[in-house]
Parts: sequence; structure tokens; C-alpha cells
Amino acid sequence: MMILGIYPALASIGLVITVFAVIWKSPFFNFVGILLFIYGLLKSVALIMPPLPGQVMVMYMAMSVFSLIVYFSIEDKTFKAFLEPMRAVIADDDKKVLRVILVFVALPLFAGYLTYTKVTPTYEPPVSGRIIHPEPPSQIEFKGNTMNVIGLENPLRKDAANLAKNIEDGKKIYYRNCFYCHGDDLDGRGHLAQAYNPVPLPFRGTDTIAQLPESFVFWRVAKGWRGLPAGAGPWNSAMPSFEDFLSEDEIWKVILFIYEATGNKPRA
Amino acid sequence: MAEAGVRKGLTKGLIKLTLILGIGFGLLFILGKALPAPTGDGYRVFPFIGSRDWIWIIAQLHLNFAAFVLGVPIFAVSMEFIGWRKSDGRLDRIAYDFTKLFTLAYTITAVIGSIFMVSLPILYPKFIDHMMKILGPTWWVYVAVMYVEVIVCYYYFYSWKKMSGTKGRHVAIGGLLNVMGVMMLLITSSWVGYMTTPAGVSDSGELISRWHAIKTYMWLPLSLHRLVANVVFGAGIAMAYAAFRFITSETDEDRAYYDWMGYTSAMISIGFSLILPGIGYLLGVEIYEYNEQMGIQLMGGFFAWLWVMQAILIGAILMCINYYLWISLAKMPGGERYYKYVKYLFIVMLLGYAVWLTPHSIALSLEEARKMGAYHPLLGNLGVMASKNTAVVITYLVTFMSFSIFKMSNKESVVSWAATGRALRIVIIAASTVSVLAIGVYSYMVSSHVRVRVLSPIQFGIFFLTIVALFILDKMMYKNARLIGEPRWGKMPERSQYALIGITVTFTWLMGMMGYMRAGARQYWHVYGIIKNTSADNYLPTHGVTAVIVSVLTVIFFLLIGLLFWTIMKLEKAYEKKGAQS
Repeated sequence: MMILGIYPALASIGLVITVFAVIWKSPFFNFVGILLFIYGLLKSVALIMPPLPGQVMVMYMAMSVFSLIVYFSIEDKTFKAFLEPMRAVIADDDKKVLRVILVFVALPLFAGYLTYTKVTPTYEPPVSGRIIHPEPPSQIEFKGNTMNVIGLENPLRKDAANLAKNIEDGKKIYYRNCFYCHGDDLDGRGHLAQAYNPVPLPFRGTDTIAQLPESFVFWRVAKGWRGLPAGAGPWNSAMPSFEDFLSEDEIWKVILFIYEATGNKPRA
Repeated sequence: MAEAGVRKGLTKGLIKLTLILGIGFGLLFILGKALPAPTGDGYRVFPFIGSRDWIWIIAQLHLNFAAFVLGVPIFAVSMEFIGWRKSDGRLDRIAYDFTKLFTLAYTITAVIGSIFMVSLPILYPKFIDHMMKILGPTWWVYVAVMYVEVIVCYYYFYSWKKMSGTKGRHVAIGGLLNVMGVMMLLITSSWVGYMTTPAGVSDSGELISRWHAIKTYMWLPLSLHRLVANVVFGAGIAMAYAAFRFITSETDEDRAYYDWMGYTSAMISIGFSLILPGIGYLLGVEIYEYNEQMGIQLMGGFFAWLWVMQAILIGAILMCINYYLWISLAKMPGGERYYKYVKYLFIVMLLGYAVWLTPHSIALSLEEARKMGAYHPLLGNLGVMASKNTAVVITYLVTFMSFSIFKMSNKESVVSWAATGRALRIVIIAASTVSVLAIGVYSYMVSSHVRVRVLSPIQFGIFFLTIVALFILDKMMYKNARLIGEPRWGKMPERSQYALIGITVTFTWLMGMMGYMRAGARQYWHVYGIIKNTSADNYLPTHGVTAVIVSVLTVIFFLLIGLLFWTIMKLEKAYEKKGAQS
């Protein structure tokens, strides 16, 4: 937390540099100040929520550098002033000492730092990709029967007379099988959740089951991690294959329940 | 260049095409006999890089040139028509310059097409046998249409000066050229449509109905998407050509002309690109209709990463086009009055760009994954369709506003209701922005089918209504407006031209990547669900490999385009020299 405190300070320093750069009409230092401000701000996100992953930081910062160069090169006068400090360091006679420091001290130090970060042994596993929506197969084998996943509908949804009972059954099935990981509140924070990486998915909110048709959910519940497509790996999932423990009806019932309990509607 | 007689030009074109096709067929025959027989499951292997990468590069290069030669005639003929009706010689000159470009590009297109024609049956004989069995007659129609198109194209180009007195007829010939171009596009799209969303055949691949094999789910949406994308891309190449000529110009007159040509091409390119997302949406819907699994694979599975790359690149293109328009204010007398608004437009662009490129699928270290949990709240909320569509529509609005500012910057409205008009403009922009934002926020609260089928189209609808309303309002407000001064064409810094070239390079790279995604949706099938790919290449390459191959073919394409530009300049110099001597 103490280290995190540096970032708002960094953002503030960036802001101060920007203000002075505007007063002194120096687009270059304005550019540096804004970049520092954006970097500090993005890093400060970690004070209120999980930090932004490195990949996202790189994307945002690269976009900021590109866009700010675009901005500071619109007008000839501004662009000339933007390049001026760089030109002065390279060409002005009175900047010899600075040139020497940059070439013989700063540059080797930077190269050394980069080398150090690249060659230092780490014991972290390699970065892995997380794809939000794996694609389902068109057909699955379920307890000896072939089922077409495409166009598959929850048969219990049409049974309006027994809907309440089926949801109630689904609730019992959920609490016997699913809640240990997916949580009492269906928020992905079950007792065992923190033992997994990635943690189990929450069903609340708009970005999991709300975006999926029930056929997709059936496939995920029935087949678990074993059914994830090989072509789009690697997958990090500990989801069991519930076809080994539940009947087809039971899976449909629990699906009814998770939609009902979270107030979500399946994607048509 | 056009001093050659019409007959001579036509003969030259026909001999060239026949020679290229003849060499192609000859090579096909010789290689078919000389090479070892294909493997039992019907494959030969291309040396060093493998068959898939070879076909990939050649097919994409051919497609790039084909897009160029089919796209440019659409607006070249339109400009000739407008120039003729308005008696504007400058429009006629630009139309002629565009025609010069695509006529010369035909040769490269035909050569690469011929290499493609030889490579496919040699390397994938079993697959091509199947394609010929199902769609063979369309191939012969394609060759016939190609001949007619070449005749019409060469006639159109070589008769330009000769038919200057009968412009109507010349424009009609240009119209015919475009009809031929669209026919070629429809035929080739039917092949790709059949491979991806096959119909009209039995499960074992026996032909049931040829018409249904042509008229697949993908056929018309893909054709439409390609047609518009060809115009965008063709205008993009013309824009890069103009920028290149601007940078290498030695006189102010040339600089002025190529500046204007670059601006015109850029506006055609970006103008047409505004409707591409809508047509792409339609194509996506058809793919989902055909096979939901393919739809998810394409939009949210393995390819999800590439959509993030697409967002980065389109965001960069929009930023560059706004940049070009903002720089262009300097050449407009009175343009300096509008610099004060640029910073606000820039901030909105930057925020929109940030939202648009926010990924939902991400690469994580173990530590990051532990800290993040299931979803990152920021990425979970910004990396979804609701926010991205909103961001896209707003950045498009900003781009249109940059264009409007540029257009009116050297004018002053003289109508009595100018102040009311200006207030109305602010109201329209504010109302549409607030509506798009409100719909975007509301999109989070509804089920996805409401978002996809109702709210997103409404957001795009609001955008189109807004630009139509602003266009009409500006037309009325600036009727008989006081002109502060004529645009100082040619008074542009070179960096603006590099921005135009950068946009075209990005377009090309993007086309390569999207083409890969469209082909990759078939996964390990030559014809989805009908003919399995059993070669050593029946897997999807990693995104890194894809990026390298797409980059390599983009570099090769621009080397060939550079050769084309150089040839045009050389021919022009030779023509000028000859003119001076005579």
C-alpha cells in the first residue's frame, strides 16, 4: 500500500509539470507531464480496485504517447517548440555536458537496467491468455446420446406449470454442488474460490451468463474444463464435468435457478 | 501515356492478359506432370515456407490488388461524371489519374492471380477438384468476365482524350467497367461463401443444387462488405499515391494538385468507411445465423484478441484522419479561428480511443490473475460491446465535426438566422451525444439480444441522422456564404502526407488480418463441415505467426505498389520528354 501511494504523487507531479509547461509554453515538457499524469493515474487505480494488468498498461501508455505526439504536431509553431529541447540537446554547443551525461551515463544505465530486468531469474509461470468466451462445439456426447449444442433450448422453460418447482429443485442442486466455488450469493466467492486461479466466475452482473444462451451454459456445466476447445488453449479452469454427477434434467434445473436468482435472462 | 491509339492499347491489353493466362495454364500443365504425385490425401508441399503460408501470402496480395482495381473505378467514374456535368476540368484530371493507376495495376493483379491459379491446384489438388465439381462453371464465367473487363478497362483508359467530346458515352463505358467489376466480386465471393458457409451439397460433398452452393449465407453480405471495403481501400491507395507525389513534387502547382487529390481520396475513403461497421455487423449476423459456434469462435473465442488489435488500428486510423483535418486548418484562410476547438475534439477522441481498445480478453501473469479475480471491474465494464459501440459512435461524430469545421473554416455565413443556426448545431450535437451515451449506459441493463438487435443499431442510426441533419443545416447556413479566401492547396507540412500514407498502410495490414480471421473461422476445414483439411497445416497459427505473415505480405504489397508509382512517374516523364521533343 505504501508503494501504491507513490502513484498519486507521480500523477500530481505530472500535473504540476504540465501546468508549468503551459505557462512557459513548452510543449515537450507538457507532453512529459501529461504522460506522467496518465501513468500515475492508471497505476493509482490499484488503490480502489485490482491493479491494471501489465498488458493493459502498455496498451494505454502506447496509445497516449501516439495520440499526444499527434496532438503536439498539429500546428507548425507548436511542433517546432515540441522538438526544440531534443534539437538543443543534440546540437547546441552549451549542452555538451548534458550530451555526455546522456550518452555515457544515462544510456548505459538504462541499457543495464533493461538487461537486468530481462536476465534476472524469476519463478513466475509464463503469462497466460484469458479468453472470455470459449467457443462451444456444435455437438456433444452426453451420457451416450449425441446432442446438438447449436439451437439447444432449455426444455424446462416451456413447462410453465412446474417452473417454480424446477427452480426450487435447481436451488437445491446448486447448494449441493456449485456453491462451494461459485458462492452463496452466486458471486464467485465460494469457500473454495480463492484456492483456484482464475477464481470461479460470478453469475451476477452483465458479463457472464447474461451474455450466454442456455445451450452454452449447459455445455460448460456438463463438460467442464475437459470440454474446452483444444484449438484455443491454454485454458485455466477447474470446472468439473457435471455429466458425471448430474442428470440432464438436473443440469437444466440448476441453469434455471442461476438465471432466476441473479435476475439475468439467457441470451436468445 | 494515353497517346497510344485505342486499338493499339486494346490489343496490348488483350495480348498481355492472354499471355499471362497462357503462361499460367502452361505452367499448371507442366508442373502437374513434372512434380511428384500428391500425397494420398491430396496435398503437395511448397518448399521452405509450406503450402499454407505460400497460398496465404499470394491470395492476400491478389486480393489487395483486386480490391484496388475494383474499388478505384467506382469513384473514378463518379468523378468523371460529376466533372462532366459541372464542366470541372480538375475533377476530370483526377478521374483520369485514378484511371491511370488502376489500369496499370491490372497487370500486377493478373500476374499474381495467375500465380495463385497455378499454386492452388498444384498444392491442393483434391480440394480444387471438389471446388471445380461444385462451382466449376462459375470459374469459366469468371475468366470470360475478366476478358470483358480488361477490354472495357483498356478502352476506357485509352479513349479518354479521344472521347473528350462525347463524355456521356465515355462515362457509360466506365459504368460498364464497374458492372464487370461487381460481377467478378460476386463470383469470387461465392467461392469464399461456399467454403465458409456451404450449402447446396450433401454431407458427403455431392452437388445437390449449384445455385444454392453459390447463394450461401455469406455470399451477399460478404460481397457488400467487400464492395464498400474496396472503395475504402482503393481510395486509400489513391490517397497514398497523392501523398507520395506531394512529397516528391518539385513545383507549387504539382503540390497544390496532389494535396487536393490526397484530400479528395481521403474523404472518399473515410466517408465510405463510416458504413463498413454496419455492413460488417450484417455479415456477423449472417455467420451467427449459419452457425452460432462459428460466430462465437470469430467474435469471442480464439480470435477475440484480434478484435482488440482491430480496435487499436481503427482507432489509430481515426486519430490520423482527424490529425490530417486539424493540420489542414492551416491552409484555410480563417482556419486559425477554429484551433481553439481542436483540443476538446482531441480529448474526446483520446477518451473514445481508450475505451475502444480496452480489452476484455487479456494476457495475465499468475500474480496479476490472483489480484484480479474473475474480472477486472474496469475492464469488465469498458471492454464490452455497450461501451465500445458508444465510444465508436462518439469518435465517428468527432471525426465528422472535424470535417465540418475544416469545410466551413474559410467561410462566413451571411444568412439572417446564422446565430440561430449555430445554436441549433450545438443542440443537435449535444442531443445526439447525450442520446448515444444514455443508450450506451442503458445497454448495460438489458439482455444481450436487446443490445445487439435494438440498441446498437439505434446508436448507429442516431449517428447517421446527426450527420445528415448537420450536413443539411450547414448547406443552408453556408449558401452564398462570404468566402474569406480560397484554400491554399499545397500549403501543407509533409507530416500530414505521412499520416495519409500511414492510414493506407494500416488499412492494408488490417485487411490482411481480417482476411485471416474470415478464413480462420473454418478452422480445420477446407469447406466447413464438408471437406476436412488433413494436411500438416490443419491448425490455426498463433497470433504472433499471423502478425508476422500479415506484416510480410503488407511489406511485399507496398514494394509492388512502390513499383507501380515509380512506373507511372517514369512513363509520365517519358511522355513529357516526347511531347517537348515534338
